[in-house]
Amino acid sequence: MNKSNKSLAAMAGMLTLLAGQLLTTPASAAEGASVIEEGKAVAFGRSKGNCLACHMIEGGESPGNIGPPLIAMKARYPDKAKLRAQIWDATIINPDSAMVPFGRNRVLSEAEIDVLVEYIWSL
Amino acid sequence: MRINKLCSMLALVVFLGGGWGGAIAADPVATDPKMADPKAVEAQRAIDEAENARKKAASVDSEWTGVGKLIKKAQLAMKDGDYDQAIKNAKAASEQGMLGYEQGASQKELRIPSYFKY
Amino acid sequence: MKKILNSLTMLAIAGAVSLNVQASPEEDRAAFKKYYQQRFPDVPTEDYANGAYAIDPIGRENWEAIEEFPPYEPYIDNGQAMWETPFANGKGYQDCFTDGPAIAHKYPHWDKKQGLVMTLPLAINQCREANGEKPLKYKKGPINDILSYIAFESRGQVTNVVIPDDDPRALEAYEQGKKFYFTRRGQLNFSCASCHVQNTGLKVRTEILSPSVGHTTHWPVYRSKWGTVGTLHRRFSGCNNNIRAKALQAQGEQYRNLEYFLTYQSNGLALNGPGARK
Repeated sequence: MNKSNKSLAAMAGMLTLLAGQLLTTPASAAEGASVIEEGKAVAFGRSKGNCLACHMIEGGESPGNIGPPLIAMKARYPDKAKLRAQIWDATIINPDSAMVPFGRNRVLSEAEIDVLVEYIWSL
Repeated sequence: MRINKLCSMLALVVFLGGGWGGAIAADPVATDPKMADPKAVEAQRAIDEAENARKKAASVDSEWTGVGKLIKKAQLAMKDGDYDQAIKNAKAASEQGMLGYEQGASQKELRIPSYFKY
Repeated sequence: MKKILNSLTMLAIAGAVSLNVQASPEEDRAAFKKYYQQRFPDVPTEDYANGAYAIDPIGRENWEAIEEFPPYEPYIDNGQAMWETPFANGKGYQDCFTDGPAIAHKYPHWDKKQGLVMTLPLAINQCREANGEKPLKYKKGPINDILSYIAFESRGQVTNVVIPDDDPRALEAYEQGKKFYFTRRGQLNFSCASCHVQNTGLKVRTEILSPSVGHTTHWPVYRSKWGTVGTLHRRFSGCNNNIRAKALQAQGEQYRNLEYFLTYQSNGLALNGPGARK
């Protein structure tokens, strides 16, 4: 890529970003809150994530202690995609993991995992 | 002579007709009026496929509880004429059936986990 | 240089060979013992027969209270009546089980003639059918009565599963059971070991996961959740269902082989059935 093409590409990128921001900003605050609520429902649902079976989560009753408590998640998973991957199939990183492969085994749908990740990452 | 010929022709027609009718009667898909709908045929095929996937998983002792449940749901939807729902359930059943089979097949050899030390 | 290469080659071959050779049943049992001793250093060996109550002090208190008025007592009484009532042909269980009723410790064992793992419930039904009686169901119902009686009479007998060396099929059955134990199954992807080895002592919600040593000593069990006495194979089925794995047949080959493997790990423990559990 020569110099002029590069700057064109950069401008195009910035414009796309700005456009994206404009399109999502107005509703994003309310949307964000409802996504978290949806994710929480997936997390706490006994036939869904049922995360409390193994993990302590603030606000959850009678949690198990097989996995670590779900706190400080942004510090533990600065890369949200890595958190999603862990939920999708923890055995990729640790073949002996006791964590249910929620994505690979279709315990949760991709959409459910999307909202779940938002909720868990917010803890 | 003419009557005889007619009779034998009649007999031939009846014979052929009976054979044809017999063939149709033997194929439940073709005689069921519901199955005139191509969606219904698709749904039945999806259910049959799901049942095959279930059997495959069961053959390696790795059938998941969801598969049978989803097949039943698909069959009920089919009965109600909701072919889209039947196809959806049957496809989900197939998927879980195959995942169960892969789970069983991928563990053909015993693998002692790392936390179990001798 | 050549010498080093030769040694390395020999080591590699030795390594490959040892990878293909499975640990022996005694090595398995020692590994289980070592693992649990490290996990639960204060639990004496014989206490493992009490299952989760060996490692759950609060649960144990409740359990000991329940044991004052054991919920399985009526089943023992019914079982005794079954044992003592002749079949239609005049014979009885005593004719099949001449050492009975204290015979629970003789099972499971390898039956060379039939080429299978013989469990007590299977033997009971073979006795019934040989005498013109209908077989009993293996999970619920009157099998639990007669098993309760036999278990109660057998208390104190010591678990001693033997893998005979004059029939390679016996070891094969043991190894099938072992493979089942370590195989992940169900949509939730757990093996028996996931809960009962890897995470034993930890809790799923509020339930402490019991170790596998001691799993087989106290059957049949009055389970509060069932509101009745049930068999070991009923519990296998329930566990499989819980992880969304379709249960296999009670007293089918897979569960009998699993029982063979599992009971071996409790060799040396005293029988203490029938039991009472949540």
